[in-house]
Amino acid sequence: MVEIKGVTKQYKNTERPAINNLTLSIPAKSIFGFLGPNGAGKTTLISMLCGLFKPSAGEIFINGNNISVNLRAAKQIIGVVPQEIALYARLTAYENLLFLGQMYGIETNELKKRITENLQIFGLEKNAHQQIRTFSSGMKRRVNLIAGLLHKPQLLILDEPTVGVDVQSKTAIINHLKNMNRERGTTIFYTSHHLDEAEEFCSHIAVVDEGKLITEGKTADLIRNNNCNTVEEVYLKITGSKFRDY
Amino acid sequence: MKKLFYCVYKEYKVLVRDKAALAVTFLMPMALVFIVTIIQDSTFKSVNETSVPLLLVDKDKDSLSFKLESALVQTRFFEVIKIDISEEQTQTLVAEGKFLIAVIVPKEASKQLREKAKARISKLFPDMDSAKKAEETAAVELKLFFDPITKQSFKVSISGAIDRIVSAIEMESMINTLGEELKTILSTTISPKFEKEPLVIVQQEYAGRDQTTIVPNSVQHNVPAWTMFAMFFICIPLAGNIIREREDGSAFRLLTVPGSYLNVILGKIFLYLLVNLIQFILMVCVGIYLLPLLCLPKLDIGNNYITLLCIAISSGLAATGFGLLIGTIANSQDQASLFGAVSVVILAALGGVWIPTFVMPEAMRSISSISPLNWGLEAFYGVFLRGLGIGAIFIHLLKLIIFFLVCVAGSFYYQTYKRIR
Repeated sequence: MVEIKGVTKQYKNTERPAINNLTLSIPAKSIFGFLGPNGAGKTTLISMLCGLFKPSAGEIFINGNNISVNLRAAKQIIGVVPQEIALYARLTAYENLLFLGQMYGIETNELKKRITENLQIFGLEKNAHQQIRTFSSGMKRRVNLIAGLLHKPQLLILDEPTVGVDVQSKTAIINHLKNMNRERGTTIFYTSHHLDEAEEFCSHIAVVDEGKLITEGKTADLIRNNNCNTVEEVYLKITGSKFRDY
Repeated sequence: MKKLFYCVYKEYKVLVRDKAALAVTFLMPMALVFIVTIIQDSTFKSVNETSVPLLLVDKDKDSLSFKLESALVQTRFFEVIKIDISEEQTQTLVAEGKFLIAVIVPKEASKQLREKAKARISKLFPDMDSAKKAEETAAVELKLFFDPITKQSFKVSISGAIDRIVSAIEMESMINTLGEELKTILSTTISPKFEKEPLVIVQQEYAGRDQTTIVPNSVQHNVPAWTMFAMFFICIPLAGNIIREREDGSAFRLLTVPGSYLNVILGKIFLYLLVNLIQFILMVCVGIYLLPLLCLPKLDIGNNYITLLCIAISSGLAATGFGLLIGTIANSQDQASLFGAVSVVILAALGGVWIPTFVMPEAMRSISSISPLNWGLEAFYGVFLRGLGIGAIFIHLLKLIIFFLVCVAGSFYYQTYKRIR
């Protein structure tokens, strides 16, 4: 689904590259966890996958399309759920979703149907016509997620989708994502600092540190090959306990 | 096209639900027009109209002071107030700013003038007996006191007006004395008549193309001036809107949607341009309907509506372009608000919004022409005061549109090559 070949991203006026010669393959229909400490380069890679930043070196292919050459085709099949609540606070949940769906060119009747369905799935149908600024963190996160799903993307990129939400909201989000992956075959690229959640959710995991790929593989293989019991143990074993964001 | 409509509609909903932004956008400029127009009205009147309060201290109480008073009143330039006080008291009143100007006609000034006129006339007929008797006396001395804050140009024009009146009285006195002398010499009963009508008339007209005369006043200046200010002040909510979208991740999300971001930017430009046009209409309505209720002059917009619309659109584009540039370059809402407010105030001051450029020193007048607010204001003046058509003000519109294009290009460059690295 996604082929990352020798990608490097060097920002201006920085000593080390944010991403350093990264080569990675994200299989179709997988749930791929991209883990790493703060400053490891996770958000930079997401920005490059979305075509916002161009790699300093290397190439990225999504569904066979080189995104540096045909970004538009890649954008059609990508859905992005940013870490921030990327919604308009003064619009209602329904208005936000309607606008974002319209920007993807979804036909209005079909769009309204999808919005209603998703709001029901995430228990927000009663709050559909309330402004986002009146929502709790969990409710905002759920609407934020729906906004990335409306156009039924083949590749869903999630940047810490469950940060700052309660257990109920987290469970609803994770369960829905699992269903999407199982039923529609949506490939999910996911970053998080919740390693237990990643272990339970992801079929594949890659760990990056200081822009370099440290390890990757199927979740179960990764735990077994490192003689660990959990992803968290693996993570600490290979990244160490030194602070990164000092 | 549909996506552009959706973007405009989204921006509309976001704006109408933001009460603070609405207040800044519509109420603040209206309040400014009200307040500043009322404050500046008397200043404009002193420049344009009549009624400069003048204190006349009449110690003479004879023909000279009576004629002087009557002539001063007839000019309609002075509001003559007569008080019988000493010279020191007069000086104090003017120094305290109670009067802008005071004239003291000394005791027996009329008598002195008559004697002086007689002496002058007698010199024309040296062989006459009466001439031998008349002796030259000292010149009649009228004293003028000016408030120290009075501008030199104003002082010169007032002194000139009083000089002209005094000269006429002097001339009349000479003619009368001459008449009397002639009566004696020629033993005739015919009296010469002094004709007050001037021999040379200086005709003044405003050089409006359609021959109409719209006198510049506080309303004609302040309504277009504060309309320009309000239009450019929109850069603050617009820049805030762009930064908010960037900070909350909406811009990131929209950049991942195929071909959407140009629509998002165009949507903002379109909506805020629409807001600018509504501001313009509201401000014009204030000038036409509300300001006259406060006994202020009514705004005269002439009848060149298409040209006015072109100015409003060009100014609106320049203002939204400026907001777009600030929103793209600024890193935070605080930075954008501060820079936006300060830069608009500076551009407004330079552009002649606070103080009209025609009262600025020459050097400042040259500098003011770099301000886009000045281009818009000059275009409005062209239509409101000079009755010009679109051809004559086209250069100002062109400058505004080029400014808009430069701002948009700058935003695009910054967004593409600086922010997205």
